Amino acid sequence: MSFLTGPGREHLNGHKEETLHNEIVRVKPKKEVFVPLNNGSATKVDVYVNEGDKVLVGTLLARRNDHFNVPIYSPVSGVVGAKKNMMHSVLKPQEHLIIEDDGKYEKVESFKPLDYTVASREELVNFMMEAGIVGCGGAGFPSYLKYKNPVDINTLIINAVECEPYITSDYRFTKESLEDLLVGVRALLKMSTAPKAIIAIKKSKKEMCEQLEAVLKGDPSISVFKTPDVYPMGWERTLVYEFAKKRYNRLPSEVGIIVNNVTTAIAFARALQYGEGIVEKVVTFSGDGLKSPTNVRVPFGTKVSEIVAQIGGYASEDVLVIAGGPMMGKTIPTDEFVITNYSNAITILKNVKVEEMACMRCGRCNDTCPAGLLPVRINNAEKAKDLDLIVKLSADQCIECGLCTYVCPSKIDVTEGVRRAKRALALRKG
Amino acid sequence: MKFNFRVSPNYRTPLSTQRVMWEVTAAISVVLAFAVFYYFTELGTDYGIHAVLMILTSLAVAIGTEVLWALFYKKNILKHLNTSFPWVIALIFVGTMSINRPLYVSAVSVFAGVFFGKLVFGGFGYNIFNPAGVGRAVAALSFSGFVTNKFADVVTGATANQVMQGLGWVITKPEAVDAFLNQFGGLSGLAIGFYPASLGETSTILLLLVGIYLSVRKIIDWKVPLTFIGSIFIFTYAIALFKGMGVWYPLFHIVSGGAMYAAVFMITDPVTTPTSSIGRILFAMGVAIFVVIIRIKANLPEGVVYGILFMNMLSPLLDQITDGWVFKEMKKFYIQIGTLFVAGLAVILLVASQISYNEPVVEVEPVVVINLKGEPVVVLAEAVSPTALVVSETAEGDVTTFVVNINGYAFQSDHDDDPQPNTLEIKVNTATQTVESVSYVTFSDSPNIGDKTNSDVFLSQFVGLSIVDEAASVDVVSGATITSQSVVRAVRAAIAAALD
Ligand code: SF4
Ligand code: SF4
Repeated sequence: MSFLTGPGREHLNGHKEETLHNEIVRVKPKKEVFVPLNNGSATKVDVYVNEGDKVLVGTLLARRNDHFNVPIYSPVSGVVGAKKNMMHSVLKPQEHLIIEDDGKYEKVESFKPLDYTVASREELVNFMMEAGIVGCGGAGFPSYLKYKNPVDINTLIINAVECEPYITSDYRFTKESLEDLLVGVRALLKMSTAPKAIIAIKKSKKEMCEQLEAVLKGDPSISVFKTPDVYPMGWERTLVYEFAKKRYNRLPSEVGIIVNNVTTAIAFARALQYGEGIVEKVVTFSGDGLKSPTNVRVPFGTKVSEIVAQIGGYASEDVLVIAGGPMMGKTIPTDEFVITNYSNAITILKNVKVEEMACMRCGRCNDTCPAGLLPVRINNAEKAKDLDLIVKLSADQCIECGLCTYVCPSKIDVTEGVRRAKRALALRKG
Repeated sequence: MKFNFRVSPNYRTPLSTQRVMWEVTAAISVVLAFAVFYYFTELGTDYGIHAVLMILTSLAVAIGTEVLWALFYKKNILKHLNTSFPWVIALIFVGTMSINRPLYVSAVSVFAGVFFGKLVFGGFGYNIFNPAGVGRAVAALSFSGFVTNKFADVVTGATANQVMQGLGWVITKPEAVDAFLNQFGGLSGLAIGFYPASLGETSTILLLLVGIYLSVRKIIDWKVPLTFIGSIFIFTYAIALFKGMGVWYPLFHIVSGGAMYAAVFMITDPVTTPTSSIGRILFAMGVAIFVVIIRIKANLPEGVVYGILFMNMLSPLLDQITDGWVFKEMKKFYIQIGTLFVAGLAVILLVASQISYNEPVVEVEPVVVINLKGEPVVVLAEAVSPTALVVSETAEGDVTTFVVNINGYAFQSDHDDDPQPNTLEIKVNTATQTVESVSYVTFSDSPNIGDKTNSDVFLSQFVGLSIVDEAASVDVVSGATITSQSVVRAVRAAIAAALD
């Protein structure tokens, strides 16, 4: 990065050792799962089953029906129950569909598998849409949109960076699914029209780098790209900049790049080969608030409280339960919420009191903001209610990565101030 | 079981403002410890103790002021101190003070720095001016003449910047350059810093190491000192090229007069500098421009401090002009830096075009002597330097006897109409190469003046001195009156003749 700006990133203590080397543990719901009838923030969902219906793993339950098309498949086999309003990991109560788990996990093919080597590009894109493959960014952005009209794409980046502290679910899942990963990447490469794909992974994960390099030997179109161990290396813009030294306005395709998450690639491969949608998730349960941090494989819709109980319980009476990693995840003031089909981690931390003091104007927040913003200036503008200045400071570009709060030595909630500024902007625009 | 809610992120760097301030404290302590060590070992206990007392006074006043403030506003004292860091101000301030300042100057100035420089603005984080800089400016403006006589001798005329100032901040003759630099042991001597000046400012090398340490620990932003020192180098190198001087000139600017100290400890103060990276770079370059101009034009040794205080005032403005979305504003930033650089360079060269080399006048030290009436009179050292004349030399075996004429006190006093030289007989053993004896042949000085030298106690001091080791060791002989000095010179002349 230029001399004139800060580095825009920061090495974080990853706390990944707690779960990095342990096998994934399979956890089952006690008696029922709660399927969220939303997809990201979208809540317009058509439900295709009725109370009392018998369903199998993979039965189509519902479909998001706004301008995106995302199906939801049953994660367990059993009987459809009532609908229930309960807390969701977006920190808002949402409608959930209860399914009584019969414990048999009988499967049904959700759709016909497809051989990517013979299918056309358009067929693959349509297949991806039908299979309901969503990005893992948490927003549930449907992946097929990226491949609809590729123009001048030169590289497909498979994002295996996983930069948030504590989270190792991508790592473990990928390690156990290398074969599937290759299938996924080759299919995606075909869809992207790019001549080459790179798998981006932190260079500190040596073992995985070597493993990947070994399986990729002999395939010149796919290579491993090792990134520094900094946060937020896994964010598209930071990753694209690291790789191509280019910035873009809205989408990476402007600079000829498509970025796809590694777990999405694997999920896509499983859909192609076995005709299954996303019905279970590998989720990292970690943090000092847990007795034994573990990666679990669960049907989505399983309650966090049930999973915690099965892996050894809490290590403290006073905790923060975070849906996601500690940087970007939201704290949920209860453990009565479920794993969604795009969850990747639940972080549980001891509740440590933070003493805030006056801002010493050190500028660390400005220097580390990966979006090139000046968070302390935005905070000051927000306090002064100077909307014009907030606009000038482009507060709307904030991705809420949390770095500004992380680096602040005065322990100020800088990110929250920027969020307030964003809300003020949104209110004015609205 | 308690499930809490807190806004994200819930992950924090272990670095706290407290730790930042403690690391700065440690760094500045190392620098001050070096100074204390220097004064104790090179100049003696008196100086060492005074240096320590200056540090302790500043600390006591700074902390005391904040404790009273906390009491007045009914705050928890320890908590207040732990978020206010008065000792950092005290230590940084005292590093800018020279040893010849009495303690009360430090006390009053540091109070002003803490109280007017910080507390009245609302305390740590809200002050506009660098508090240590405010203290230093108060010391300069209100107490400029206040020095303790006890230590006056060491520092007067000793700092390189003041000598340079006398020369007009430009030396064009190559021989004069060497002569100038050699007084301080060359550029390396200046960089090592074993000379009296402001407590913390002398050792450029130590400051460089401390600066690197603080940068690596991410306590300070390395770009700030780098831009500052780099700008001073470029600007003064431009002057050097303009005036036909060598690279020694920019280096001199960097190793002398507190530039490095300010680079590491003062312009890196987070509170009073801009918050954006680009803002801090503009700030550092701005201070550099001021420092160079104030040095070469205004002849103020506190140039660095005034430069910092002025730029402190501009910090909010710098923050304002660098506001925006950094990724979109890069072009603006390049233009801002370019403009400041070109403007600074133009002004500096303009000012430099007006400076010229002042041929140094040979230094003559005034010396106080007592005249016949017992009154003190100031005469110039040159006039009192008696010249020794070897009038005869007779060798007898190993022993050579020299007869030396030397003008004693009588020649300096206008009370004697027909002054006569003193004559001394000095025996030198050429085998053992030592002085055998010194005695007066004739002692012509007025009674009561210089009598002391005509005594066994005084003259026997010379016996046994080696003539080869170091002729100058004769200087160790005690006595500073004109007559005793004249005896020293006579002995020296004899030794010189013997070695011939
Ligand atoms: S949270 Fe927003 S403002 Fe803060 S560092 Fe991240 S992108 Fe920048
Ligand atoms: S990091 Fe914290 S103390 Fe430093 S400028 Fe930003 S808000 Fe202020």
